[in-house]
Amino acid sequence: MLGVNDLVLLGVGIGVKLLLWPAYHSTDFEVHRNWLALTHSLPVDKWYFENRSEWTLDYPPFFAWFEWALSHLAYMWDPRIVDIDNLEYSAVTCVMFQRLSVVVSELVLFAALMRFTKVSGGSVQARVAAFLGFLSPGFLFVDHVHFQYNGFLFGILVYSLVFALEGHDLLAGVTFAALLCFKHIFMYIAPAYFFYLLLHYCVVYRQRGAGGLDLGASVLRLLKLGSCVMLVFGIAFGPFVAMGQIPQLVSRLFPFKRGICHAYWAPNFWALYSFADRVLIIGSRLAPNLFPALRLNAALESSTRGLVGDSSFAVLPDVTPAATFIATLVAQIPACALLVFRQRTPTRLIQAVVLCAFASFLFGWHVHEKAVILILAPLGLLVATPTKRMLRMFAVLSISGYYSLLPLLFGAQELPIKAAIMLIWSLSALGLLKSSSVLAWRCLTALEKTYIVGHGVLFLLTEISPSCLFGQMQFLPLVLVSVYTALGILYSWLGMIYELLAAE
Amino acid sequence: MAPTTRSKEASGLKSSKKAAARPSDIVPINSWFRFLETQNSQAIALPLTLLFAVLVRWCVALYGYSGQGSSPMFGDYEAQRHWMEITTHLPPSKWYFYDLQYWGLDYPPLTAFQSWACGFVANLVNPAWVALDSSRGIETHESKLFMRGTVLVLDLAIFFPAIVLFFRSKRGFGSWVPQQVSIFTALLHPCLLLIDHGHFQYNSVMLGFLVWAVYFAAQEHYVYMAVAFCCALMFKQMALYYAPAVFFFLLAKCFQPNHGFALFIKLGFAVVATFGLMLLPWIQSPEQLTQILIRVFPVARGLYEDKVANVWCALNVVVKLRNMFETADLLRLATAATSLAFLPACIHLFVMIRRHKGKLLPAVRDNMVKLLNY
Repeated sequence: MLGVNDLVLLGVGIGVKLLLWPAYHSTDFEVHRNWLALTHSLPVDKWYFENRSEWTLDYPPFFAWFEWALSHLAYMWDPRIVDIDNLEYSAVTCVMFQRLSVVVSELVLFAALMRFTKVSGGSVQARVAAFLGFLSPGFLFVDHVHFQYNGFLFGILVYSLVFALEGHDLLAGVTFAALLCFKHIFMYIAPAYFFYLLLHYCVVYRQRGAGGLDLGASVLRLLKLGSCVMLVFGIAFGPFVAMGQIPQLVSRLFPFKRGICHAYWAPNFWALYSFADRVLIIGSRLAPNLFPALRLNAALESSTRGLVGDSSFAVLPDVTPAATFIATLVAQIPACALLVFRQRTPTRLIQAVVLCAFASFLFGWHVHEKAVILILAPLGLLVATPTKRMLRMFAVLSISGYYSLLPLLFGAQELPIKAAIMLIWSLSALGLLKSSSVLAWRCLTALEKTYIVGHGVLFLLTEISPSCLFGQMQFLPLVLVSVYTALGILYSWLGMIYELLAAE
Repeated sequence: MAPTTRSKEASGLKSSKKAAARPSDIVPINSWFRFLETQNSQAIALPLTLLFAVLVRWCVALYGYSGQGSSPMFGDYEAQRHWMEITTHLPPSKWYFYDLQYWGLDYPPLTAFQSWACGFVANLVNPAWVALDSSRGIETHESKLFMRGTVLVLDLAIFFPAIVLFFRSKRGFGSWVPQQVSIFTALLHPCLLLIDHGHFQYNSVMLGFLVWAVYFAAQEHYVYMAVAFCCALMFKQMALYYAPAVFFFLLAKCFQPNHGFALFIKLGFAVVATFGLMLLPWIQSPEQLTQILIRVFPVARGLYEDKVANVWCALNVVVKLRNMFETADLLRLATAATSLAFLPACIHLFVMIRRHKGKLLPAVRDNMVKLLNY
């Protein structure tokens, strides 16, 4: 049951989120307002065709129904919110409604995390981990300032993982299937669920006798799982199949994004790759005899200006979308190996989910920096009883991952807010989490401690110092942040693979 | 932010020896610090409090301020900005005379110097914010950030250290948890947050100096105490409310057997020096000094203004004093009433100090606090 202190902390969290109402919000605000408007004003068969606004519906149907439900409340609050022609409407009533909807829908995450605390035995550290997850900079920056509904969606994911922890595999699978119908980015972690459900739920062994595979029971389970998942997809996509709109849905849900990196380089492998390319370009200019006949001009035009578009590499080989896809698949092998070759427990599922998310983030095509939350949210569930190495990797990854979100809030007004939230969270995580009674900060190696403190220097250099310091190269602060945090993320990925697979 | 857990059976960790549940743990803020204590995480307690205090302040600052968008006069925000403007561009002799109808300066000189310092910085960043006359009513996103920034910086420089030092000084607040709780509650006082960082004022500077004075009293550095209180007084004349308490406290200390008279001399010298330093630009001209007095104590305004939660306003509902008497008579009435009201407490303070002949801070602290809440 919820204690008084849990409720007080929830109250404090909600208080801070409400205080953040006037802060900057991005175009995502208008995106969701537009979706409120179009689900309210148009019949279902027009939802995926509507394009009066540039922010067309590109989430799966369950999210559209969620917006539809909200739109009725919006209509009662202020009818102008759901006027489809009322583009860029951002009056105080609209801001209040949308922000409040994020705060309320995030209670799903809170409920899921409290249930997680319960299934973890109600230990102090489980509660600490739960609140660190609920009040993380990821959700505060992206949901409550920039504006998105991640808290709500990750609440569903946490519920799915908690069901697995409780032993309700079928429910976990069905919840995950439903989650996919809310936001398809979670397909990145589907392999983990696939292998886990297949090998932990579907595969049944004979209780007595030779102890081999009970084929009948297994097939029955497979059919049960399959039909439940199909039912979920059927509810979501069925109406659109019936209307023959699937090709349109596919084109909306999977738009081909140009450029291997987003406008701001998500701190993944390709950011480091691009950076290495830049360094080699500069190096080649200084020592031209080493690199003859380079496609210098084209490469210099892209990337450096940080615009979304194809970026061609001058020195290193070009990378195609197919290549990134293969790289991602290869990187997901450790995750699947974890489930295939080790004993399958629900905790293993969470670990595999984290590794899958890692792989997709590090090697995916046109990854958004916000996708780092896909790694960090489930990871928070693993620090209730962590080993020392796991805790170290969590610390390094969380701090560099959340730091990489700071450029999303680029105004001077948000500077004290993001600094304060980042510091509060980091101090709490490093000062409260323990591994076998050793404080997280003490578990870290000297190098890791230096790296973490280095973020402070990075902050001073990129956020506080005057823009004249960078002169012509205004993109340089962003590149610095991207590369610095990418190093930490890559390092913790390797550390985690070692911890989960090798250190047994 | 991390949670607390009160029930011992839910705690997976063995509590340390300090964790016997106390009645005060029902209060969430107490149990938060008690939690940090049991987890041996005391090191992060103060940083978290300070960061949270800054976060809440800046979040409040996101919202509107006094007089936002309401031309032609706007409000306190514009008044403070205007003072930055006039102190930057005009010589001190004009500060208390320039266009008194549009937010004439009506705080003592230390506010003027603070406005000058802020105006100096504003001029460097963007002169348009404090351009003489032409910047009246300027309301841009950046200028608002700058103004809010000045309040935060002064708050951090003067109020925060005073509070932390005072509550952490060895004599006074008992063990670690009550100290931390006091610091937290003092730094997150809603009134101060809303008035300073919302409505827009610089009360944290005056209150900061006041807390410095009390801190120095606790450390028995009475000369510094006198200087700090003079600074508070010279920043905002509202500190006069506390003056009787401070005066009688120091007076009692002067009647001590050892070094009493020496202290009296030192205090006198310190007070005169502080006042003199603050009034230096105007000290040559009696006319200027009179003008400052008139601006700082606008007795012509009457018994009270607008609505205020005090006796006169309440009394006015039944007895229309303002219609019955002249302003000058009402002034005498108010002075007499106030003196009668604080005199017993002051005399009590005086006697208490004399009786205990020095130390015994708890008694002093209690008395000070009692009087400060006056």
